[in-house]
Amino acid sequence: MDERTPGRVPDWLLERLALGELPAAQADETRRRLDAEPGGADRLAALRASDREILAAHPPRVMAASIRERALAPRRRRVLAWGAAVAAPVAAAILVVANTGGTPPVSPVETTRMKGLEPRLVLHRKAGGDAETLDDGATARAHDLLQLAYVAAGRRYGVILSMDGGGAVTRHLPVGGSVAAALDLQGATLLPHAYELDDAPGFERFVLVSSDAPFEVEAALAAARAVVSHPEAATLPLALPEGLQQTSIVVRKVR
Amino acid sequence: MVLRRCRKLLRDEDRALDAMQDVFVLLLRNDARLVADAPASLLLRMATNVCLNRIRSTSRKPEDADEALLQQIAGDDGLESRSLARAALARIFGREPESTRAMAVMHLVDGMTLEEVANEVGLSVSGVRKRLRTLKERVAAEA
Repeated sequence: MDERTPGRVPDWLLERLALGELPAAQADETRRRLDAEPGGADRLAALRASDREILAAHPPRVMAASIRERALAPRRRRVLAWGAAVAAPVAAAILVVANTGGTPPVSPVETTRMKGLEPRLVLHRKAGGDAETLDDGATARAHDLLQLAYVAAGRRYGVILSMDGGGAVTRHLPVGGSVAAALDLQGATLLPHAYELDDAPGFERFVLVSSDAPFEVEAALAAARAVVSHPEAATLPLALPEGLQQTSIVVRKVR
Repeated sequence: MVLRRCRKLLRDEDRALDAMQDVFVLLLRNDARLVADAPASLLLRMATNVCLNRIRSTSRKPEDADEALLQQIAGDDGLESRSLARAALARIFGREPESTRAMAVMHLVDGMTLEEVANEVGLSVSGVRKRLRTLKERVAAEA
Protein backbone atom coordinates (compact mmCIF):
# COMPACT_ATOMS: atom_id res chain seq x y z
CA MET A 1 0.00 0.00 0.00
CA ASP A 2 1.56 3.25 -1.14
CA GLU A 3 2.18 5.89 1.49
CA ARG A 4 -0.23 8.26 -0.19
CA THR A 5 -2.97 5.74 -0.86
CA PRO A 6 -6.24 7.44 0.07
CA GLY A 7 -7.42 6.27 3.46
CA ARG A 8 -4.06 4.99 4.62
CA VAL A 9 -3.18 6.25 8.07
CA PRO A 10 -0.21 8.60 7.62
CA ASP A 11 2.93 7.68 9.58
CA TRP A 12 2.63 11.01 11.34
CA LEU A 13 -0.71 10.10 12.90
CA LEU A 14 0.47 6.56 13.60
CA GLU A 15 3.32 7.94 15.68
CA ARG A 16 0.94 10.09 17.67
CA LEU A 17 -1.48 7.22 18.10
CA ALA A 18 1.30 4.96 19.39
CA LEU A 19 2.24 7.58 21.96
CA GLY A 20 -1.35 8.03 23.07
CA GLU A 21 -1.27 11.65 22.07
CA LEU A 22 -4.28 11.85 19.78
CA PRO A 23 -7.54 13.21 21.20
CA ALA A 24 -9.94 10.37 22.02
CA ALA A 25 -12.23 10.81 19.03
CA GLN A 26 -9.34 11.11 16.59
CA ALA A 27 -7.62 8.10 18.17
CA ASP A 28 -10.77 5.99 17.75
CA GLU A 29 -11.12 7.06 14.15
CA THR A 30 -7.45 6.37 13.44
CA ARG A 31 -7.69 2.88 14.98
CA ARG A 32 -10.75 2.17 12.87
CA ARG A 33 -8.91 3.20 9.72
CA LEU A 34 -5.90 1.16 10.75
CA ASP A 35 -8.05 -1.94 11.25
CA ALA A 36 -9.53 -1.49 7.79
CA GLU A 37 -6.14 -1.00 6.18
CA PRO A 38 -4.37 -4.05 4.72
CA GLY A 39 -1.47 -4.78 7.07
CA GLY A 40 -2.56 -1.92 9.26
CA ALA A 41 -2.29 -3.84 12.51
CA ASP A 42 1.29 -4.77 11.69
CA ARG A 43 2.30 -1.15 11.37
CA LEU A 44 2.00 -0.46 15.10
CA ALA A 45 4.05 -3.58 15.85
CA ALA A 46 6.65 -2.46 13.32
CA LEU A 47 6.79 0.94 14.99
CA ARG A 48 7.52 -0.63 18.37
CA ALA A 49 10.17 -2.90 16.85
CA SER A 50 11.76 0.16 15.30
CA ASP A 51 11.75 1.86 18.73
CA ARG A 52 13.62 -1.10 20.20
CA GLU A 53 16.15 -1.09 17.37
CA ILE A 54 16.82 2.64 17.78
CA LEU A 55 17.18 2.47 21.54
CA ALA A 56 19.60 -0.44 21.24
CA ALA A 57 21.71 1.25 18.57
CA HIS A 58 21.68 4.66 20.25
CA PRO A 59 21.50 4.31 24.03
CA PRO A 60 19.59 7.28 25.47
CA ARG A 61 22.33 8.00 28.02
CA VAL A 62 24.98 8.41 25.32
CA MET A 63 22.65 10.30 23.03
CA ALA A 64 21.54 12.67 25.78
CA ALA A 65 25.15 13.49 26.63
CA SER A 66 25.97 14.11 23.00
CA ILE A 67 22.97 16.41 22.57
CA ARG A 68 23.77 18.30 25.75
CA GLU A 69 27.31 18.81 24.55
CA ARG A 70 26.09 20.10 21.23
CA ALA A 71 23.68 22.44 22.98
CA LEU A 72 26.62 23.91 24.88
CA ALA A 73 28.65 24.42 21.73
CA PRO A 74 27.72 28.07 21.05
CA ARG A 75 28.82 29.08 24.55
CA ARG A 76 32.05 27.25 23.89
CA ARG A 77 32.44 29.18 20.65
CA ARG A 78 31.95 32.44 22.48
CA VAL A 79 34.68 31.60 24.97
CA LEU A 80 37.08 31.02 22.13
CA ALA A 81 36.07 34.06 20.15
CA TRP A 82 36.08 36.60 22.93
CA GLY A 83 38.98 35.10 24.78
CA ALA A 84 41.30 35.75 21.88
CA ALA A 85 43.95 37.29 24.08
CA VAL A 86 44.38 34.02 25.92
CA ALA A 87 45.01 31.05 23.70
CA ALA A 88 43.58 28.58 26.16
CA PRO A 89 43.43 24.96 25.14
CA VAL A 90 40.05 23.95 23.86
CA ALA A 91 39.67 21.33 26.54
CA ALA A 92 40.11 23.93 29.25
CA ALA A 93 37.56 26.19 27.61
CA ILE A 94 35.06 23.39 27.50
CA LEU A 95 35.65 22.66 31.15
CA VAL A 96 35.12 26.29 32.12
CA VAL A 97 31.93 26.50 30.14
CA ALA A 98 30.63 23.23 31.49
CA ASN A 99 31.16 24.44 35.02
CA THR A 100 29.76 27.91 34.62
CA GLY A 101 26.89 27.35 32.24
CA GLY A 102 24.41 26.16 34.84
CA THR A 103 24.58 22.60 33.62
CA PRO A 104 26.06 20.00 35.95
CA PRO A 105 29.31 18.47 34.70
CA VAL A 106 28.66 15.14 33.08
CA SER A 107 30.31 11.91 34.09
CA PRO A 108 33.05 10.33 31.97
CA VAL A 109 30.52 7.91 30.56
CA GLU A 110 28.19 10.70 29.58
CA THR A 111 30.90 12.61 27.74
CA THR A 112 31.14 9.88 25.12
CA ARG A 113 30.84 11.81 21.87
CA MET A 114 29.06 10.98 18.72
CA LYS A 115 31.50 10.37 15.93
CA GLY A 116 32.63 13.69 14.44
CA LEU A 117 30.76 15.86 16.91
CA GLU A 118 33.27 18.68 16.55
CA PRO A 119 34.42 19.94 13.16
CA ARG A 120 38.08 19.31 12.51
CA LEU A 121 40.77 19.40 9.87
CA VAL A 122 42.85 16.42 8.87
CA LEU A 123 46.19 16.98 7.20
CA HIS A 124 48.04 14.44 5.08
CA ARG A 125 51.50 14.72 3.56
CA LYS A 126 52.59 12.91 0.49
CA ALA A 127 55.48 10.65 1.38
CA GLY A 128 56.77 8.71 -1.58
CA GLY A 129 53.85 6.80 -2.99
CA ASP A 130 51.94 6.97 0.29
CA ALA A 131 50.40 9.61 2.50
CA GLU A 132 51.06 10.16 6.18
CA THR A 133 48.72 11.91 8.57
CA LEU A 134 50.24 14.92 10.30
CA ASP A 135 49.43 15.75 13.90
CA ASP A 136 48.89 19.31 15.04
CA GLY A 137 52.37 20.80 15.54
CA ALA A 138 54.11 18.37 13.20
CA THR A 139 57.13 19.62 11.29
CA ALA A 140 57.19 20.19 7.55
CA ARG A 141 59.44 21.64 4.91
CA ALA A 142 59.08 23.92 1.93
CA HIS A 143 57.72 22.00 -1.07
CA ASP A 144 56.05 19.33 1.05
CA LEU A 145 52.84 18.35 -0.65
CA LEU A 146 49.89 18.50 1.75
CA GLN A 147 46.34 17.33 1.31
CA LEU A 148 43.65 18.77 3.53
CA ALA A 149 40.42 17.13 4.56
CA TYR A 150 37.67 18.35 6.81
CA VAL A 151 35.09 16.68 9.00
CA ALA A 152 32.05 18.94 9.15
CA ALA A 153 30.45 17.22 12.15
CA GLY A 154 27.09 18.57 11.14
CA ARG A 155 28.16 22.16 10.52
CA ARG A 156 26.69 23.06 7.20
CA TYR A 157 28.86 25.91 6.00
CA GLY A 158 32.56 26.49 6.14
CA VAL A 159 35.62 28.38 5.00
CA ILE A 160 39.09 26.87 5.02
CA LEU A 161 42.03 29.21 4.91
CA SER A 162 45.70 29.12 5.76
CA MET A 163 48.01 31.60 7.42
CA ASP A 164 51.78 31.46 7.25
CA GLY A 165 54.75 32.91 9.04
CA GLY A 166 55.34 35.29 6.17
CA GLY A 167 52.06 37.06 6.91
CA ALA A 168 50.06 35.61 4.02
CA VAL A 169 46.43 34.50 4.27
CA THR A 170 45.24 32.08 1.59
CA ARG A 171 41.74 30.81 1.03
CA HIS A 172 41.27 27.17 0.12
CA LEU A 173 37.52 26.67 0.41
CA PRO A 174 35.46 27.91 -1.25
CA VAL A 175 37.75 28.57 -4.19
CA GLY A 176 35.61 31.51 -5.31
CA GLY A 177 32.54 33.44 -4.31
CA SER A 178 31.73 35.51 -1.27
CA VAL A 179 29.70 33.01 0.77
CA ALA A 180 31.01 30.07 2.77
CA ALA A 181 30.94 26.69 1.07
CA ALA A 182 28.19 24.18 1.78
CA LEU A 183 30.11 21.46 3.59
CA ASP A 184 29.81 17.80 2.79
CA LEU A 185 28.42 16.17 5.91
CA GLN A 186 29.57 12.69 5.03
CA GLY A 187 32.68 11.86 7.06
CA ALA A 188 36.09 13.25 6.07
CA THR A 189 36.02 15.22 2.82
CA LEU A 190 39.19 15.87 0.88
CA LEU A 191 39.69 19.25 -0.73
CA PRO A 192 39.94 18.91 -4.49
CA HIS A 193 43.57 20.04 -4.70
CA ALA A 194 46.75 19.32 -2.77
CA TYR A 195 48.78 22.23 -1.41
CA GLU A 196 52.52 22.68 -1.79
CA LEU A 197 54.19 24.47 1.07
CA ASP A 198 56.27 27.47 0.05
CA ASP A 199 59.34 28.78 1.84
CA ALA A 200 57.51 31.09 4.25
CA PRO A 201 59.21 30.81 7.64
CA GLY A 202 57.91 29.56 10.96
CA PHE A 203 54.58 27.88 10.46
CA GLU A 204 51.65 27.14 8.23
CA ARG A 205 48.32 27.14 10.01
CA PHE A 206 45.15 25.81 8.43
CA VAL A 207 41.86 27.03 9.84
CA LEU A 208 38.34 25.74 9.33
CA VAL A 209 35.69 28.31 10.19
CA SER A 210 32.24 26.77 10.24
CA SER A 211 28.65 27.53 11.07
CA ASP A 212 25.17 26.14 10.79
CA ALA A 213 24.19 29.12 8.66
CA PRO A 214 25.75 30.72 5.58
CA PHE A 215 28.26 33.47 6.31
CA GLU A 216 30.56 35.75 4.38
CA VAL A 217 33.98 34.38 3.47
CA GLU A 218 35.37 37.79 4.22
CA ALA A 219 34.45 37.44 7.89
CA ALA A 220 36.90 34.57 8.20
CA LEU A 221 39.57 36.12 5.99
CA ALA A 222 39.46 39.44 7.84
CA ALA A 223 39.81 37.69 11.19
CA ALA A 224 42.82 35.80 9.87
CA ARG A 225 44.43 38.91 8.45
CA ALA A 226 43.97 40.61 11.82
CA VAL A 227 46.17 38.09 13.60
CA VAL A 228 48.51 36.75 10.92
CA SER A 229 51.27 39.21 11.80
CA HIS A 230 50.91 38.70 15.54
CA PRO A 231 53.84 36.92 17.24
CA GLU A 232 51.42 34.20 18.38
CA ALA A 233 49.63 33.89 15.04
CA ALA A 234 50.29 30.16 14.90
CA THR A 235 47.98 29.55 17.84
CA LEU A 236 45.97 32.68 18.52
CA PRO A 237 42.23 32.09 18.04
CA LEU A 238 40.62 34.24 15.39
CA ALA A 239 38.24 36.89 16.71
CA LEU A 240 35.25 35.74 14.72
CA PRO A 241 31.70 37.06 14.73
CA GLU A 242 29.42 35.22 17.11
CA GLY A 243 28.01 32.04 15.68
CA LEU A 244 31.15 31.03 13.83
CA GLN A 245 33.25 28.17 15.12
CA GLN A 246 36.93 27.58 14.39
CA THR A 247 39.40 24.77 14.47
CA SER A 248 43.02 24.80 13.35
CA ILE A 249 45.92 22.54 12.59
CA VAL A 250 49.46 23.89 12.48
CA VAL A 251 52.65 22.59 10.93
CA ARG A 252 55.98 23.99 12.07
CA LYS A 253 58.36 24.80 9.29
CA VAL A 254 61.91 23.49 9.42
CA ARG A 255 64.63 23.99 6.85
CA MET B 1 10.14 8.70 16.42
CA VAL B 2 12.33 11.72 15.67
CA LEU B 3 15.08 9.57 14.18
CA ARG B 4 12.52 7.72 12.07
CA ARG B 5 11.24 11.02 10.78
CA CYS B 6 14.74 12.23 9.93
CA ARG B 7 15.60 8.92 8.27
CA LYS B 8 12.52 9.14 6.13
CA LEU B 9 13.20 12.68 4.95
CA LEU B 10 16.98 12.57 4.64
CA ARG B 11 17.49 8.97 3.45
CA ASP B 12 20.88 8.80 5.11
CA GLU B 13 21.61 7.39 8.55
CA ASP B 14 24.45 9.77 9.48
CA ARG B 15 22.58 12.84 8.34
CA ALA B 16 19.46 11.63 10.10
CA LEU B 17 21.32 11.10 13.37
CA ASP B 18 22.84 14.53 13.08
CA ALA B 19 19.50 16.17 12.34
CA MET B 20 17.83 14.32 15.19
CA GLN B 21 20.35 15.74 17.63
CA ASP B 22 19.73 19.21 16.28
CA VAL B 23 16.04 18.80 17.00
CA PHE B 24 16.73 18.10 20.66
CA VAL B 25 19.30 20.86 20.84
CA LEU B 26 16.58 23.26 19.71
CA LEU B 27 14.37 21.89 22.47
CA LEU B 28 17.06 22.22 25.11
CA ARG B 29 17.80 25.78 24.18
CA ASN B 30 14.17 26.77 24.38
CA ASP B 31 12.90 24.66 27.23
CA ALA B 32 11.94 27.65 29.34
CA ARG B 33 9.47 28.78 26.70
CA LEU B 34 8.25 25.41 25.60
CA VAL B 35 4.59 24.77 26.20
CA ALA B 36 3.33 21.74 24.36
CA ASP B 37 0.33 19.58 24.97
CA ALA B 38 1.22 17.45 21.96
CA PRO B 39 4.97 16.81 22.17
CA ALA B 40 5.03 14.19 19.42
CA SER B 41 3.41 16.57 16.97
CA LEU B 42 5.81 19.29 18.03
CA LEU B 43 8.85 17.04 17.61
CA LEU B 44 7.67 15.83 14.22
CA ARG B 45 7.23 19.38 13.02
CA MET B 46 10.62 20.40 14.39
CA ALA B 47 12.25 17.39 12.74
CA THR B 48 10.56 18.24 9.45
CA ASN B 49 11.90 21.78 9.53
CA VAL B 50 15.40 20.74 10.53
CA CYS B 51 15.46 18.16 7.72
CA LEU B 52 14.17 20.67 5.19
CA ASN B 53 17.04 22.93 6.17
CA ARG B 54 19.47 20.08 5.58
CA ILE B 55 17.93 19.19 2.25
CA ARG B 56 18.05 22.81 1.21
CA SER B 57 21.76 23.09 1.93
CA THR B 58 22.86 19.97 0.08
CA SER B 59 22.89 19.03 -3.56
CA ARG B 60 22.17 15.32 -3.35
CA LYS B 61 20.77 13.75 -6.49
CA PRO B 62 17.22 12.60 -5.78
CA GLU B 63 16.72 8.85 -5.85
CA ASP B 64 13.00 8.94 -6.50
CA ALA B 65 10.02 11.19 -7.00
CA ASP B 66 9.48 11.71 -3.26
CA GLU B 67 13.01 12.88 -2.74
CA ALA B 68 12.79 15.16 -5.75
CA LEU B 69 9.58 16.61 -4.35
CA LEU B 70 11.19 17.19 -0.97
CA GLN B 71 14.07 19.02 -2.62
CA GLN B 72 11.64 21.13 -4.56
CA ILE B 73 9.74 22.03 -1.40
CA ALA B 74 12.90 22.71 0.57
CA GLY B 75 14.38 24.90 -2.13
CA ASP B 76 11.29 26.84 -3.09
CA ASP B 77 12.23 30.40 -2.23
CA GLY B 78 8.79 31.60 -3.18
CA LEU B 79 7.33 29.96 -0.11
CA GLU B 80 9.27 31.67 2.62
CA SER B 81 12.08 34.13 2.43
CA ARG B 82 13.31 34.01 5.99
CA SER B 83 15.79 31.58 7.44
CA LEU B 84 13.89 28.35 7.97
CA ALA B 85 15.68 27.62 11.20
CA ARG B 86 14.87 30.98 12.72
CA ALA B 87 11.32 30.97 11.48
CA ALA B 88 10.80 27.41 12.67
CA LEU B 89 11.61 28.40 16.22
CA ALA B 90 9.20 31.28 16.13
CA ARG B 91 6.48 29.02 14.79
CA ILE B 92 7.10 26.18 17.13
CA PHE B 93 6.97 28.40 20.16
CA GLY B 94 3.70 29.85 19.13
CA ARG B 95 4.54 33.17 17.64
CA GLU B 96 3.89 32.36 14.03
CA PRO B 97 1.89 29.84 11.98
CA GLU B 98 3.58 26.68 10.77
CA SER B 99 5.91 26.86 7.81
CA THR B 100 4.31 26.41 4.43
CA ARG B 101 7.15 24.05 3.56
CA ALA B 102 6.41 21.80 6.53
CA MET B 103 2.73 21.78 5.63
CA ALA B 104 3.64 20.92 2.06
CA VAL B 105 5.66 17.94 3.26
CA MET B 106 2.80 16.74 5.45
CA HIS B 107 0.34 16.95 2.58
CA LEU B 108 2.38 16.03 -0.47
CA VAL B 109 4.95 13.64 0.98
CA ASP B 110 3.30 12.18 4.07
CA GLY B 111 -0.07 11.84 2.37
CA MET B 112 -2.02 13.70 5.02
CA THR B 113 -5.30 15.25 3.98
CA LEU B 114 -5.75 18.99 4.15
CA GLU B 115 -7.97 18.42 7.18
CA GLU B 116 -5.27 16.43 8.93
CA VAL B 117 -2.65 19.04 8.15
CA ALA B 118 -4.94 21.79 9.37
CA ASN B 119 -5.57 19.88 12.57
CA GLU B 120 -1.84 19.45 13.18
CA VAL B 121 -0.87 23.05 12.62
CA GLY B 122 -3.92 24.77 14.06
CA LEU B 123 -5.06 26.48 10.87
CA SER B 124 -8.33 26.26 9.00
CA VAL B 125 -8.55 23.90 6.04
CA SER B 126 -9.04 26.86 3.74
CA GLY B 127 -5.99 28.50 5.28
CA VAL B 128 -3.85 25.44 4.57
CA ARG B 129 -5.30 25.13 1.07
CA LYS B 130 -4.49 28.75 0.36
CA ARG B 131 -0.93 28.41 1.66
CA LEU B 132 -0.31 25.31 -0.43
CA ARG B 133 -2.01 26.45 -3.61
CA THR B 134 1.03 28.16 -5.10
CA LEU B 135 3.32 25.28 -4.34
CA LYS B 136 0.96 22.68 -5.72
CA GLU B 137 0.72 24.65 -8.94
CA ARG B 138 4.50 24.70 -9.25
CA VAL B 139 4.77 21.01 -8.49
CA ALA B 140 2.13 20.25 -11.10
CA ALA B 141 3.89 22.45 -13.63
CA GLU B 142 7.17 20.58 -13.16
CA ALA B 143 5.62 17.11 -13.09
